[in-house]
Amino acid sequence: MSNPARTARSKGRWWHIGVTSVVLAVLIIPLLATFLFSISTVWQNTILPDGLTLEWYGRLFSDERFLYAIGRSFLVSAVTVVISLAIMVPAIFVVVLYFPGLEKMLQSVVLLPFALPGVVTAVGLIKIYSSGPIAISGTIWILIGAYFIVIMPYVYQSTRNSLRSIHAAQLMEAAEVLGAGKVKAFVFVILPNIMPGMMVASLLSFSILFSEFVLANMLVGGSYEVVQVYLHRMLATDGHMSSAIVFTFFVIISLLFALVLRIGRGKSRKMNATSATPADNEGGVTA
Amino acid sequence: MLLVLVPFVFWLIAFLALPFAGMLISSFQHADGQGFTFAQYVKALTHPLYTQSLLNSVWLSFVSSLVGLVIAVFASYSFTRFSAKTRDVLLNISNIFNNFSGVPLAFAFMIILGTNGMFTLLFDKLGMGFLNFDLRSLKGLIVVYTYFQIPLAILLVYPSLYAIREEWKESAALLGASTWQFWRYIGVPVLLPSLVGTFSVLFANAMGALATAYALTVRNVNLLTIQINSLVTGDVFPRQELGSALAVVLFVILLIALFINEKMLQLVRKGS
Amino acid sequence: MSFVEISNVVKTYHQVRVLDRVSLSIEKGEFITLLGPSGCGKSTLLRAIAGLNPIDEGRIMVGGRDITHLPPKKRDVGMVFQSYALFPNMTVFENIAFGLKMEKLDKKEIRRAVSEMISLIELEGKENHYPHELSGGQQQRVALARSLVKEPTVLLLDEPLSALDAQIRRTLRNEIRTIQKRLNMTTIFVTHDQEEALAVSDRIYVMNHGTIEQHGTPQEIYTSPRSEFVANFIGNYNVWSREQLLHKPIRGIPDRGELFAVRPEAIHISTEPDRTGAQQGIVAEGFISMATVLGNIMRYEIDVQGLQVTVDTLHRPSVEGLTPGAPVYLFVPESEWKCIERSI
Repeated sequence: MSNPARTARSKGRWWHIGVTSVVLAVLIIPLLATFLFSISTVWQNTILPDGLTLEWYGRLFSDERFLYAIGRSFLVSAVTVVISLAIMVPAIFVVVLYFPGLEKMLQSVVLLPFALPGVVTAVGLIKIYSSGPIAISGTIWILIGAYFIVIMPYVYQSTRNSLRSIHAAQLMEAAEVLGAGKVKAFVFVILPNIMPGMMVASLLSFSILFSEFVLANMLVGGSYEVVQVYLHRMLATDGHMSSAIVFTFFVIISLLFALVLRIGRGKSRKMNATSATPADNEGGVTA
Repeated sequence: MLLVLVPFVFWLIAFLALPFAGMLISSFQHADGQGFTFAQYVKALTHPLYTQSLLNSVWLSFVSSLVGLVIAVFASYSFTRFSAKTRDVLLNISNIFNNFSGVPLAFAFMIILGTNGMFTLLFDKLGMGFLNFDLRSLKGLIVVYTYFQIPLAILLVYPSLYAIREEWKESAALLGASTWQFWRYIGVPVLLPSLVGTFSVLFANAMGALATAYALTVRNVNLLTIQINSLVTGDVFPRQELGSALAVVLFVILLIALFINEKMLQLVRKGS
Repeated sequence: MSFVEISNVVKTYHQVRVLDRVSLSIEKGEFITLLGPSGCGKSTLLRAIAGLNPIDEGRIMVGGRDITHLPPKKRDVGMVFQSYALFPNMTVFENIAFGLKMEKLDKKEIRRAVSEMISLIELEGKENHYPHELSGGQQQRVALARSLVKEPTVLLLDEPLSALDAQIRRTLRNEIRTIQKRLNMTTIFVTHDQEEALAVSDRIYVMNHGTIEQHGTPQEIYTSPRSEFVANFIGNYNVWSREQLLHKPIRGIPDRGELFAVRPEAIHISTEPDRTGAQQGIVAEGFISMATVLGNIMRYEIDVQGLQVTVDTLHRPSVEGLTPGAPVYLFVPESEWKCIERSI
């Protein structure tokens, strides 16, 4: 090995380490600053805070309004996810397995939310539901309704991929030949095997809804105050509390994310070699 | 069996189709909610306030997406050079930050770059005051938007960079190409569809964003989403019809962006 | 009326007749193989019998019952899929028990039946393992057990061994045959591997383009192919048209027939001409253009004035003079000179 090649490679290595460090630093600094602010006593016109304290967290977690807000966020996100799974999973299953002709249309529909940011859907929702026979504007119901649409693409993607990777059609056939009707086959054979995928989709969707602000603010605002809206109202009044909220929020999201990773890892182990293809015998791995 | 689809279809109608139709119809009505007219669209596309908002949004989205993408490409490429374990960690860290946007992010930036922000004061102290800018301006938003575009861009672009195989670079080197030449003739062309597609998605992401700007500036910066929000939730009087027209305009822009991305994805699939 | 009677089944898919008036008769306890290349319709037919694919015309009778329009779960057939389709969320025990659970048998009954089956397939000790923890061969046995435990009227096997290594395939096919005989289970087996078909079947149905080209015992099919397709598909037949044999140093060709098939191992090869004339047959002269060692078979390519003849002999130690370039004399007994029909 000649020296120039080695130095070139190690120079390359330093470049990559440098770039990575800089990017990571840029990403982490705002978060770090927020954390610092949340544990500082006074931090007005100085570069670094005057002193450190945990009183803000103490105040936060004993603040009823905050706790209710968190509760509402959890509730609306969880309820939406559950309803969404209950309605969408069977629907996607039926289309993918028995009405493949409809799949193209289904795909286009479920991907629409990407072209419909919160502010756009809010326009239509406010118009329809602010008055008239179904005036659900301002209640949790309109939020659940809209949130369902928001997470639609993620639930679809995840369910469809799960069904594909477990070769759902084959499993259904095997179950039916063994004497199961379609419903029993779905419940005993399909659901348990797409569970990891559904868990991942649930957590991902939950995170997204938990972080959602625009729809929550425009559709329900103070009538059903969720964490993001609460935070927004605190911004102008109490900086320390706000930073504590932000950091807490970030910790919750990270925990959810870690859970997703955990489940994802467990899933890949189980999915290996449950159905035989020639590739399997050469040591290759499917799914 | 089609019965299974009923609840789903019902929900789609109630919360997607009807609101969308409502918005569409509204955009073609007079300010009193009656009739049929193009007046709203005319106003949306000619009135200086709104054309400015459109231009600002496009400019903001364009710059933040471009810069974010470039940073993401360099970052992703560097990520690929590490061991599998390190790569995993790096990607996971990057992915967590995908959720750090909107109101929380706005606040975090206020702490570091606001009027009394950590870095604002630091730069002043070090005599680098020229680096400071007003966070609550379009310029400030560009910085914040770029920040939240980076993790998304990394997520989308990383797989393609990972696909740039070592062997290609080695063959190119053997054939006498320098690093620069490799990228110019092989690397970038191969990546191009994926880069264009990602840019599209980033652009759409920024165009549709409201929370961050709302929390930071509310009325200081003129953005399309902010205008729509004001018109519809109306502080003074709600002007739904005009808001609807602007919303439809935004929707069309986003559709185009997503369509471009879809086309690019097809190109990528064909190539691999 | 046979135990399984399939009459004039037709299935069209995208304007192509995937099954073209197919008829089969199977006796109770028989092991039948549907043999043919990819796309010949064998799997389609099997799936139609199972009720997974509907048919356009025809009738399927099993054990005296007309099952043509019944859903799979009412047909009382068992099926083993090419990819096994074991339920990943269930243990070996639970997989095998599934069908019995659907029949609503009580727990004790299920336990007894499943344990018996597990002994039969020799997987004791693996009851609580999950499919992904088993080898390919083991998974296949579980798939088999899962169907057999319900004691179906007919067992259907859709290329169950395709995904396995050659060595395991051979062992497993014998195991399947043994179990089938022990249970006297009427079985329909689908494969594209002619060696497999010949090894395990009572009778074979050779299929091509949705029709049955020929059916019979392995012996019949192998030694007496009736069409060009079967001759080319089974074994390594030499297939020649009368034209091709003109003006060659070949004597004794019978008058009838336009297309002929001769198995490579039926041709006697020698460096000396056979002067005794003891048997009626066809003789030819040529030289060895290639000699290949195929393990226990020695394969010679003989050039008979431009015509290629393949001759196989057992690779016995004492073969003098049979080297490339050597002049040789070939003899085919008349009974081995088969007339076959041209296939389109």
